[in-house]
Amino acid sequence: MGIRLYQEPQLENPILVASWPGIGNIGIIAVDTLRQILEAEEFGEIEPWEFFYPKKVLIRKGVLEYLEFPTSKFYFKRIRGRDVIFFVGQEQPTERGGMYAEGRKAYRMADLVLDVAEKFGCHRIYTSGAAVALIHHTTKPRVWAVPNGQSLISEMKAYQNTVLMSDIEGRGGHGNITGLNGLLLGVAKKRGFEAICLMGEIPVYLRGLPLSYPKASKSVLEVLSHSLKVEVNLDTLDELDRRVEQRIEEFYQQIPLEIRGQLDRLKHRAYAQPAEPGPITEEEGKKIVEDVEKFFNKRGESG
Amino acid sequence: MTQGNPISLYQEPDLHQSSLVLGWREDAGDLGRRVTDYLNLKLEGQEFAEIEPEDFFPMGGVAIKDNVARFPESKFYACPEHELVILQTDSPLVEWCKFLNSVLDVAEHHCRVRELYVLGAMISFGAHTSPRQLLAVVNSAEMKNGLSQYDLNRDMDYQTQPGERPTLNSFLLWLARERNIPGVSVWVPIPFYLAATEDPQAQRRILSFLNERLGLRIDFGDLDQEIRKQNEQLARARSRFPQIDDYINRLESNLMLSEEENGELVKKIEDFLREGD
Repeated sequence: MGIRLYQEPQLENPILVASWPGIGNIGIIAVDTLRQILEAEEFGEIEPWEFFYPKKVLIRKGVLEYLEFPTSKFYFKRIRGRDVIFFVGQEQPTERGGMYAEGRKAYRMADLVLDVAEKFGCHRIYTSGAAVALIHHTTKPRVWAVPNGQSLISEMKAYQNTVLMSDIEGRGGHGNITGLNGLLLGVAKKRGFEAICLMGEIPVYLRGLPLSYPKASKSVLEVLSHSLKVEVNLDTLDELDRRVEQRIEEFYQQIPLEIRGQLDRLKHRAYAQPAEPGPITEEEGKKIVEDVEKFFNKRGESG
Repeated sequence: MTQGNPISLYQEPDLHQSSLVLGWREDAGDLGRRVTDYLNLKLEGQEFAEIEPEDFFPMGGVAIKDNVARFPESKFYACPEHELVILQTDSPLVEWCKFLNSVLDVAEHHCRVRELYVLGAMISFGAHTSPRQLLAVVNSAEMKNGLSQYDLNRDMDYQTQPGERPTLNSFLLWLARERNIPGVSVWVPIPFYLAATEDPQAQRRILSFLNERLGLRIDFGDLDQEIRKQNEQLARARSRFPQIDDYINRLESNLMLSEEENGELVKKIEDFLREGD
């Protein structure tokens, strides 16, 4: 059990772009949208049985016809000498029904993805996920970029609308990336690949909602397509964003006025230049997060 | 420690062309445990192997049931005279594929199993007096044809609904098919108000099928006695509590009860059966 390749395409100087579901499905929507726009061709998969419980059964006239598992598929696209392999995992292999993979299975899956990267001579890996941030849903999300080596930092500083962890207030360059979108970065480092995780910002008050956040996927995709030197039409993401934004607004109006008033101030938040503090101080920011969390905890308790 | 192989084999069973009957502990109506216990008792099943639990259950303590600490178990019993293997097991909570493949490894490599029978209890919103139609899901047309002479519904259509996941029975049948082992999952309806206690009539229904299919020649006199006893208890509950009688009457007329009424019926019946009359 492991990897199944349907064909072995000859690829030139490829990079691998991988993603799994996570908060707001930001990474996976970005990666899968790019895959679809570029019409990448499926060429293999990671066999699911070791990792997943089946998600669907079809029984017809008493006979079990098939059992469907979450898929973990590889696709390729030839792009002028800088080819791309996409990996899209429908689910993270969790041990106890959580959202994120961890432990032995997660490590094994990361290793299998990198086995394919190695087989086809990939020199770089991109992953993508979400960054929970003190932003408003009407503002354009930035992209937090985390490389797995110092040598990549100067390159990332040139990316548009992108920040390093050291640029984020109060983080001092530290943080963590939960699940496989983060783990792959570490396993890639161990195996000698350079790798970058691009995380689209999602407002702190939306992180627990069962909604995708395509606005952040778009930010990620802009960075990713620039890095891959491909031009893509993002109309489909804009359309999806409009639909989701409507539902977010409906939810937003249910937040008590007092908390919403504080959240509204995030609309005018200037992104930090250390010498130019924005209209919300760090202390005020912490207070907003606390109030929002209290509100959602109460909502959770009352069902 | 299992160190990769979770199977502990105590002795090689003397089986050449056997059938495996699998019952899940903690099934509705305690069906899987009771049916496999009954088969072991009647056919003098001898334990010969088990699947060690550490890979499949969280080892963070023990559960307590009916005042007693319990621990996950997956034990195989052999009945060589009847070419029968019985597995009574808790449902694994993780590493499902590895667990089910371990079951099939024992079946295939140590018991030469030719057919697989997986028991299942499904909660029914019908009354206990309604006929219990067995439902069969098979993993091959060959198995379906082989079951044509039995009183089973073999023509069910089903697709997983949103928010649900397939059962372990389906997963096991699917893996068995990969190994060319014909298998059937046999489901019996358990009235919802008996799900937390026991339902000897459901046990009898499944056991009768296995008895006939596998030629076990079991005398069910004791189980029939249990059925009569439970039916009498339920009849007394109906005559003593008009509300219970009304609810069951409505179920017998294929009418649905409200959620609140369901809860009330469950509680009253469980209390009545546990406390005796």
